[in-house]
This record gives sequence, structure tokens and C-alpha cells, in this order.
Amino acid sequence: MQGSYSEKRAVGNDIPGSQIPALVAAAHELKSPLALVRQLSLALQTGDYSPKEIDALAERITLTSERALRLTNDLTRAARLEDSFFSLEPLNPHTMLEEVADELAPLYRAKGRRIVVSPRRYGLLAVANHDLLRRVLMNFADNALHYSGSQQPVTLGVTARPKQGTIRLGVRDYGPAVPADIWKRSLQPGTEHAWHMRPESSGLGVSIARQFAEYMGGQVGVTRHQDGATFYVDIAASMQMRLL
Amino acid sequence: MRTKRRIVVIDDDEWLVDTYTHTLAKAGYEVARAANALEAVQVIDTFQPDVIILDIFMPGPNGVALLHELQSYPDLARIPVIVVTNAARDIRHGALTPYGVQAVLDKTAMTPEDILLAVKRVML
Repeated sequence: MQGSYSEKRAVGNDIPGSQIPALVAAAHELKSPLALVRQLSLALQTGDYSPKEIDALAERITLTSERALRLTNDLTRAARLEDSFFSLEPLNPHTMLEEVADELAPLYRAKGRRIVVSPRRYGLLAVANHDLLRRVLMNFADNALHYSGSQQPVTLGVTARPKQGTIRLGVRDYGPAVPADIWKRSLQPGTEHAWHMRPESSGLGVSIARQFAEYMGGQVGVTRHQDGATFYVDIAASMQMRLL
Repeated sequence: MRTKRRIVVIDDDEWLVDTYTHTLAKAGYEVARAANALEAVQVIDTFQPDVIILDIFMPGPNGVALLHELQSYPDLARIPVIVVTNAARDIRHGALTPYGVQAVLDKTAMTPEDILLAVKRVML
């Protein structure tokens, strides 16, 4: 028993002080879905709901748990980014957007929202890591759900940027604009101390998305609109397209 | 002549609002909802609630901004407010009392029954 106690202390001592704000931010981010799961479970236990309502509550618990798990998986991946090897490969960005839309469709549907992919006539080819790019886009699309109203669908789109030699994958939402100061704070490396002051739930997710994008040689950004925002990731276009 | 007491629930998490609404409606209250502070001002103005249940952290202006706004209207400033938040432990006891907040509930620890008890208490 004494051995295990020493082991626990050693683990605790291994956490550098610089990581504590990130841990606080992670705890803050996870609090909302966990509190929601708890409230939904308590609601189920009251016995006040019809069979149809019980099904709806159970689905909400599942979807909320999955959302929390996505965040924990992203956190784990971000913490081990330097120790891992992620290969870059040519991939179809439009297909990637469709994958993300398909995966999040049940959550959007349950919230009375829609997620669509803008049609595209000509195919593009990007160079990225499939898993990391998917996580970046899932993060943006998940965030868009939180900030969007129910009138307009969240729209995923891809555009070529030939001058820069990049491809931009964007997630357009229709909701309150992101305040400029908050956006700048959440994107600047080394300012993670600001995360825990952020009331909303996008700061940590955006910062993780930035890490993933930079690992692939890309970058994330946002275009603010009067009625929402487009969060995007720019990644390298494949040179193979030029051979065609 | 109103037959039911009215409550406005302001929270951006619609699934949580659904559970509050279910509990309150079953107890005989008439419930209206708003997903953010901007929407809330209009809903409060038209619905004229007896109690406001308010989340603090929402997209756009947060709950504290709404509390400030309500204080600038004498009739709305008198409506008792129950704050329901994940950050209840970070709110100093009595800090929001000047803004009409009569109870603070912790989303991470409360039960559906707690919200009913709080409503009944502030309506006394």
C-alpha cells in the first residue's frame, strides 16, 4: 500500500506548473457535458417521462458522452503529439468534410440543427494527416453547433487557394460573432493562461485544433461575419494535381 | 388574470432547459425560455415572469451582463433571479445579491427537486 501511495505522489509531482492552466481548462471544458449527463440521468430516474421521452433522454446521454469523449481523446492526442508519428498523405478534402458531417449528423439532428457540405464541381487534393485533420474539423463543427441558431445550417466547405498553394476547409456557423479579443487570446501560443477565464467552451478546442494544424504544416483562423463566423484550417495542396 | 405563476429559463443548453421546463411545468408553472441574454430581454419583457432562472456562461453577452441590464429597468429589477451555473463554487456568497439574485444553484450537484425548491423559496 505504501508503494502505491509513493507512486501516486510521484505522478502528481510530474505535472509541470506550466501545464496546470491547461488542466484547469480541460476540467472546465469537461464540466458542462458531465453536468448535463448527470442532469439527464437524474431526469430519467424521476419516472416522470413517457417511453418516447425516455428514449430521447437516453439518446441525449449517449450523444453528450460521445462529445465529452471526443474532447478527452483530443486532449490525449495533443499531449502526445511530439512523441507520435503522423504521416501526411494526399486526401480528398471534400470527402473528409462529408465524413465529418455524417459523423456529427445525429448530434445535430438531436439538437434540431442541420449540418451540410457545400457541393463542389471539381475535386481537390490536399496533403494532411487524416486523423488530425478530421479532429480539427470535428472540433470546429462541434463548436459551431454550440454557437449556431436553428435557422441556418452549419455549412462545411472547401476552397482552393492557388497563390498560397493551400486548400482551405471551413466551417461556417450562424450565431453570435466571436469577440476579437477572445479570438486573439485563444490563438496566441503561450497565452493558454487565458483559457480558464473564457466562459464559453471554444478556447481549449481551438487551441488544440491549432496544435494539430501546425503539426501538419497548416494553420487555423477565423473569418468573423455579422451573423456568425467561419472557422477554417489551411493545409497544403497536393502537387500531384499539377501532374494531371 | 393569470392562472399560473410564470418562469423564464435562460440557458444556452437546450437539453438542460428541457429538463428544467419538464420539472417546472409538471409542478404547475408556465415556462418560457431563451437561449441567450439578447433573446432573454425580449422574452422577459413580453412574458413578464414571476421568477427568472439564469445561466451565467452563454455565447454573446453573459448572464452577468443580463443582470446589469435588468437592473436598469425598475419593473424588471424586482423579478427574483435564480442563478444556475457550473461555476457556482466560484461565485462568492452574496456577490450577486445586489442584482436581484436570491439563490445560486450548482449544475454539477443539484437535483431536479432543487430547482423546484428554489423557485418556491424565492416566491415566498
